Amino acid sequence: MDATPGAPLIQIRDVSRRYVRGVDEVHALERVSLDIPAGHFVGFMGPSGSGKSTLLNLVSGIDRPSEGDVIVAGQRLNDLSEDELARWRARHVGLIFQFFNLIPVLSARDNVALPLLLTKLDKAERVRRAETALRVVGLEDRLDHYPRTLSGGEQQRVAIARAIVTDPDLIVADEPTGDLDARNAEAILDLLRQLRQHFGKTVVMVTHDPRALRFVDDAYHLDKGVLLEGEEAARAQEAIRVSAGAAGARGPR
Amino acid sequence: MKYAGLVLANLGRNKLRTALTGGAIMLAVLLVCVLLTMPAGLDAFLNNIASNTRISVHNKAGLVYAMPYAFTRKVRQIDGVAAACAFVWFGGAFEEAGRVTFPNFAVEADQVGAVYPDYDVPAQQLADFQRYRDGAIVGRATMRRYGWKIGDRITLRSTVWPVNLDFRIVGEIPNDRSPLLWMNRDYLDEALKAQGRPAGLGIAGIVWVRAADPERVNAIMRTVDDLSRNSDSETASETEKSFFSNFFGSLKGFIAIILLVTGLVALCIVFIAANTASMGVRERAGELAILKAIGFGRRLLFATLLAEATVLSSVAGLAGVVSTIGITKVLHVFAGWNASLGPLGAFIVTSSVIVEGIFLSLFVGMLAGVVPAFGAARKPVVATLHEVF
Ligand SMILES: Nc1ncnc2c1ncn2[C@@H]1O[C@H](COP(=O)(O)OP(=O)(O)O)[C@@H](O)[C@H]1O
Ligand SMILES: [Mg+2]
Repeated sequence: MDATPGAPLIQIRDVSRRYVRGVDEVHALERVSLDIPAGHFVGFMGPSGSGKSTLLNLVSGIDRPSEGDVIVAGQRLNDLSEDELARWRARHVGLIFQFFNLIPVLSARDNVALPLLLTKLDKAERVRRAETALRVVGLEDRLDHYPRTLSGGEQQRVAIARAIVTDPDLIVADEPTGDLDARNAEAILDLLRQLRQHFGKTVVMVTHDPRALRFVDDAYHLDKGVLLEGEEAARAQEAIRVSAGAAGARGPR
Repeated sequence: MKYAGLVLANLGRNKLRTALTGGAIMLAVLLVCVLLTMPAGLDAFLNNIASNTRISVHNKAGLVYAMPYAFTRKVRQIDGVAAACAFVWFGGAFEEAGRVTFPNFAVEADQVGAVYPDYDVPAQQLADFQRYRDGAIVGRATMRRYGWKIGDRITLRSTVWPVNLDFRIVGEIPNDRSPLLWMNRDYLDEALKAQGRPAGLGIAGIVWVRAADPERVNAIMRTVDDLSRNSDSETASETEKSFFSNFFGSLKGFIAIILLVTGLVALCIVFIAANTASMGVRERAGELAILKAIGFGRRLLFATLLAEATVLSSVAGLAGVVSTIGITKVLHVFAGWNASLGPLGAFIVTSSVIVEGIFLSLFVGMLAGVVPAFGAARKPVVATLHEVF
């Protein structure tokens, strides 16, 4: 994917996603349209169950829309078969989740090297790149550590290293700070911002962490599967800013 | 194979469980292989009966009933008979009281070599056997078992006749699997007379006959049985192969049960291994979803999960096969020749047993792994993420 900065890397066109649960249908997303420019750090915000993860999963190609199209760097994801989509993800997307990011029986280095197993790189090169990625996230002294011996923040940084090790243009993160304390959360947010600043990555993040507003370029607000716009979006953003201020005032310096 | 590290790391995830499952598979393969040596031993034995010219003549009423010794001479005179030798069960026990640890018979020293030319007992040893009344010819299996050599003297206490006899070993049947001991019939006859039985031995348990020509075997059998018709001891003649498969006929039911048991054991370990595989997959659902999310294809995930189950079961199965070889060696020494089990008690691990053991363990691994691996590989990422998180 070569992305001209400023041009939309991701185009979301009238996307809906419904889940069938027994006889019920859950409308997780309703006709969402959105462009995300290359090289931006974007946050999807909103209350729990508002469809943030669903939207992120569609952008990263681990799920398919019920209606509408997701186009990433000119590739209509709907045109790809299941296996093609898996290969596409391996090549173009780095993924960070809230939990279960790491394989507990593999060292930090081996965890980071996992996506490289899917490439043609030889072992030495895989190790070299994994170590480089761990250096980028500041864990060069934790190469041989197993996940359970790392703190939550360190684990999340290993996950970020794994997400960038294949040098993808798009990095998606679902609640990457959800499990972390304030200091670690800010460190992770800062790291994601640096990926955008220093490496030109497009980063799309789901969060309900109000602190995130200070780091992202654009924040989008979802409610009940609908993307808020104009007045409504501004009100939602203001509400979050207020709660962030309150949290900041209460929190230790 | 670059995914080997991942497969092995996953096997090491829950070492106790892996070890327990591996141990169960190993023991099951061991049990199956040891049991399979029994039918394999019988097959090997029956296939080894090379002679298609030998005939067994015995009392129609059953093997425990004897025939008059004099009948042997009549058989020998029948047209087409190359040689005939009367056999009498001595039931001699060596060392341990009351237990017969190898089959031993009183035979006609001047005839036995001619009936069993295929046993390849050297002519000089057969000559010595005729020369020394107390001579004995012993199969190599028994020689090895007790560390005997030609020239040794041994004592056997009969469990059938009221005598203890001393023997000198004058010859060997050069066959690793032969447990037999032949003694001189005249020696037993004299000993019985000395015990106050003026009639002496006087009987033949089985007369083994060698036909000069395989074509004439049927005619000879008919003639023999006609000869004895309406006498006190009518005979039933049969070929050597038929004799031994009838002799071990009662073992066939036993073998059927063995095969049934081995089948059930195999099924049982499939379930054990499948349980381990599906537990492994279930508790890793989140991780597997993430592997899939970062681009591991369905086929690759399926293959690594299947490999996990197969590596475990084949390593365990290999250990089972290797222990089978060890255990049967021990069993072989302890059980030796066993009157009720016959060739089933030989515990010889044939190559077919090894191959079956290895195939069994591969099969167990694949069968156990395939369903959980398929389910895990097929499940959409978002479904798992939604369930797990
Ligand atoms: N795989 C799924 N199956 C059924 N329902 C789902 C699934 N994933 C999400 N949902 C439902 O869709 C709605 C939006 O979920 P989600 O996108 O996870 O919300 P958020 O991430 O904003 O908390 C919720 O009601 C959720 O229960
Ligand atoms: Mg969510």
